[in-house]
Amino acid sequence: MTHEAYKELLAASALSALDGEDARSLELHLEQCDDCRRELLDCQETAALIALSTKPVEPSAAIRQTVLTSVHREAGRRERDDAGAVGTKAAALVLPFAQSRGSGRRYYGSFGTIAASLVFVASLIALFTVWQQNRSAKAELARLKTEMSRTNDQLARERAVVALLTSPGARMTELAGTEVARDARAMLAYDKTGHAMLMAKGLPAAPNGMAYQLWFIKDSKKMPGRVFKTDSSGNGTLEDQIPTSAMDSAVFAITLEPESGVKVPTGAIYLVSSSS
Amino acid sequence: MSIGVRSEQAQVSDVELLHSVSHGDEAALARLYDRHRAVLFGLLLRILNNRDEAEDVLQDVFIQVWRRAGDFDASRGKPFTWLVTLARSRAIDRLRSLGSRQRTALNAAENEAEQVSDALADTARSEQRQIVERALAELPDDQRHALVLAYLDGMTQSEIATVLGTPLGTIKTRMRSGMNKLRTLLKPHQDNFGYSGKA
Repeated sequence: MTHEAYKELLAASALSALDGEDARSLELHLEQCDDCRRELLDCQETAALIALSTKPVEPSAAIRQTVLTSVHREAGRRERDDAGAVGTKAAALVLPFAQSRGSGRRYYGSFGTIAASLVFVASLIALFTVWQQNRSAKAELARLKTEMSRTNDQLARERAVVALLTSPGARMTELAGTEVARDARAMLAYDKTGHAMLMAKGLPAAPNGMAYQLWFIKDSKKMPGRVFKTDSSGNGTLEDQIPTSAMDSAVFAITLEPESGVKVPTGAIYLVSSSS
Repeated sequence: MSIGVRSEQAQVSDVELLHSVSHGDEAALARLYDRHRAVLFGLLLRILNNRDEAEDVLQDVFIQVWRRAGDFDASRGKPFTWLVTLARSRAIDRLRSLGSRQRTALNAAENEAEQVSDALADTARSEQRQIVERALAELPDDQRHALVLAYLDGMTQSEIATVLGTPLGTIKTRMRSGMNKLRTLLKPHQDNFGYSGKA
């Protein structure tokens, strides 16, 4: 077929109207003819504009959601696959280098194979390094996020304490460590409505199934408060409501109790305020 | 004569959106969908003449866009051409897979393609449509007929020759002459079409 004969087929190709044999023949010609490739692209641009002659129509709204849900799922799968695919892909890529054929080209083939293997190994090492760095970066990012979240929580608590202390009629009571926790101390701030915040330091880690519980003691009557746990540094915080009857002249104490809390204190006292 | 440019083009071009999609940006895909859904769905509905089939293909097209956005090469054409080619190719595959019996049934079915709303056709798009329609109208009937049977009815040259009872060589000539004339008529407007990826 001549060049001109192929040019006759370009319009039909852009319209996907070529019959099988013509399509295959043109495909081979396009691989070596820049002129026909350019003209085909031009025909395709023009053909696409015919779409504008049809009336635009609104599809169902559900289609958009279905498409976006599908790609979202696919994106999630892609991320998971990427993480686990490095080793598998590397193994798959290595296999062809083990197969050497053709005695006349064996020397060059071997040399080429060695060179290709070296390049491949170097690429693999680079890829592994990048992957490791990426993993480290992700781990560091996760650590920083956790730290930031902890700092934000701490900041929020401190702001709440400041807000509490600066409210009208606010009070603050210190709790000192007893013999079982000499280094522990705590501060209980509360406003005139009884809204209280406790910040404790230096408490030993509570055993599994146990937690610290706040008590309001007035005239020998022990009223239970909430329970809290400490972090690895022995710090703990608690927000609670002081019973009205304990607002004046009460003693505050912290005991070690079952983590679900108890109605009557059963454990040792770790922190206690002086009588006010 | 210039054609109005659609407002959203002033924001991010289709080329940029496809680039973002190729990097896994789901929001970019959503924007491409919002931008082109109506024209592509109108085309699919015209080809398939069945709303359920057209919606199914539209969904498939955008999932393919998500998977193949990395294949798009801006040096080899505009994003709109790529999207339309992908959509049309899927629709024609679907049409051909239905077989002649079902195709006849679809064509005889309620003419849903005509029951469409023009509400979406904003000024710029209407203008673009008019230009393409005017250009098609300027073609001799036999050339336009050959192009439309191929483009919108998914027929091959030999199928068109059979349907029209015309020699295959004549159909080939009509198709090429029609396409050449259409290129000449649309060339002055092509760069100004709102679907250019250069915005």
